[in-house]
Amino acid sequence: MEDAQIVNGLIRRCVAGDAVAWEEVVQRYHRRIFNICYRFAGTSDDAQDLTQEVFIKMYRTLNSYDVERGAFMTWVTTMTRNLLVDHFRKTKQDRVTDSIDAAPSDHEDAMPLSDRIEDQSAPPDARVQSREAKQAVHQALQKLSPELREAVILRDLQDMDYREIAAVLKVPEGTVKSRINRGRAELARLLQRIYRQVM
Amino acid sequence: MPGESHNGMQCNEFEALLFDALDQKLSGGKQERFRAHARACTKCGPMFAEVEAGQHWLKSLTEVEPPANLVNDILAASSGIQSYRLQSTVPTKHRPSLGERIREWVDSLLTPVWGTVRQPRFAMSFGMAFFSLSVALSVAGVKPTDLKQADLSRSGLRRTYYTTSARVVKYYENIRLVYEIESRVQEFKRATTPAEPGPKEKERDKTRKDNTSGQPEPRQERNYSRDENQPVLAVAPEDPPAVSVTTIRRLV
Repeated sequence: MEDAQIVNGLIRRCVAGDAVAWEEVVQRYHRRIFNICYRFAGTSDDAQDLTQEVFIKMYRTLNSYDVERGAFMTWVTTMTRNLLVDHFRKTKQDRVTDSIDAAPSDHEDAMPLSDRIEDQSAPPDARVQSREAKQAVHQALQKLSPELREAVILRDLQDMDYREIAAVLKVPEGTVKSRINRGRAELARLLQRIYRQVM
Repeated sequence: MPGESHNGMQCNEFEALLFDALDQKLSGGKQERFRAHARACTKCGPMFAEVEAGQHWLKSLTEVEPPANLVNDILAASSGIQSYRLQSTVPTKHRPSLGERIREWVDSLLTPVWGTVRQPRFAMSFGMAFFSLSVALSVAGVKPTDLKQADLSRSGLRRTYYTTSARVVKYYENIRLVYEIESRVQEFKRATTPAEPGPKEKERDKTRKDNTSGQPEPRQERNYSRDENQPVLAVAPEDPPAVSVTTIRRLV
């Protein structure tokens, strides 16, 4: 049985009130949704809350999912993206447009991004260097505009094809490609600027 | 410079092939021409380098592990049901049987009572109560063996009820018959031998009955040892009791 058929079967069971099927759906998609939320929102706590919101909404609107209109994954990703946009709008007032040298929040070290990049040049341990580089990229990703950020997250982190991304973002494929290009370039420029500062 | 050509490829063609190049989808010849244009073109070369670097950085980000409790939280928040998998993987605690649960419940009830009962004064009281009850039962003719043989079925209880009530009614009727016979015998005795009242009482009754003058009966004296016209004199006692008077003066 194909994956799409299995998923459709699960959805039908969920709509019929099968709790085991619902848990199967949660097990299948929670990791992916959490990662999208984490990369977009930037913090683990926000990602956890947003992931829960996505699943609560999914649970309530599962009977509105139409198999004919597209893959379940696209439906779920669209729902996630819409909630992320709502979250972004809600927190816009609270967000401080700090510089890239601002101290990071949450579980990350209370060290400015440039300091962490600086440490990259002479790291005591390759694993630490790798982890800090990833953290630097994650921080730089948060500096992108939400349109560019969501496009590169869906393409480069979630490996979605351009057509699916266009369906999720409700924009033409050309716009998707343009945003991905600009997002990647902007991210590279941000990281290069940091490198130039510390070198 | 969309129309600018470098190594046989124009910039607009370069941009069109950009995504295929980044996705490693270009064939050998096209790939070479694409790379050559990137090296030669001052606009497309840096742009391609930036986009490729950005893609490289993004690809370095690995998937993060969600918190362990996320699935459970989602299930609790959405459907309100805990994870079936977690329930099945968590070693199940020994579930006490119904008998054990009843015993635990009875123990929890009896433990404080038993502690009180074991005190000597309560033990003596309960002992006396038990002794009294057993004596009362043995006097009444109730034996424990009778209780064992008692039929506690519905029909048995009904039969016992009717038998007992019939016995009570019969007993009552017998008693009534006995009392009636007894009262008749007494009446018969009284009729044959009239009872004689006592002499003093007899006389008083007689005078009361014979008084036909219409005068009221003489008033019963309050002072039984004195005549009505005899004056009562006040006599000071020889040894008057000492009276102590306490004066409370009010200070003005």
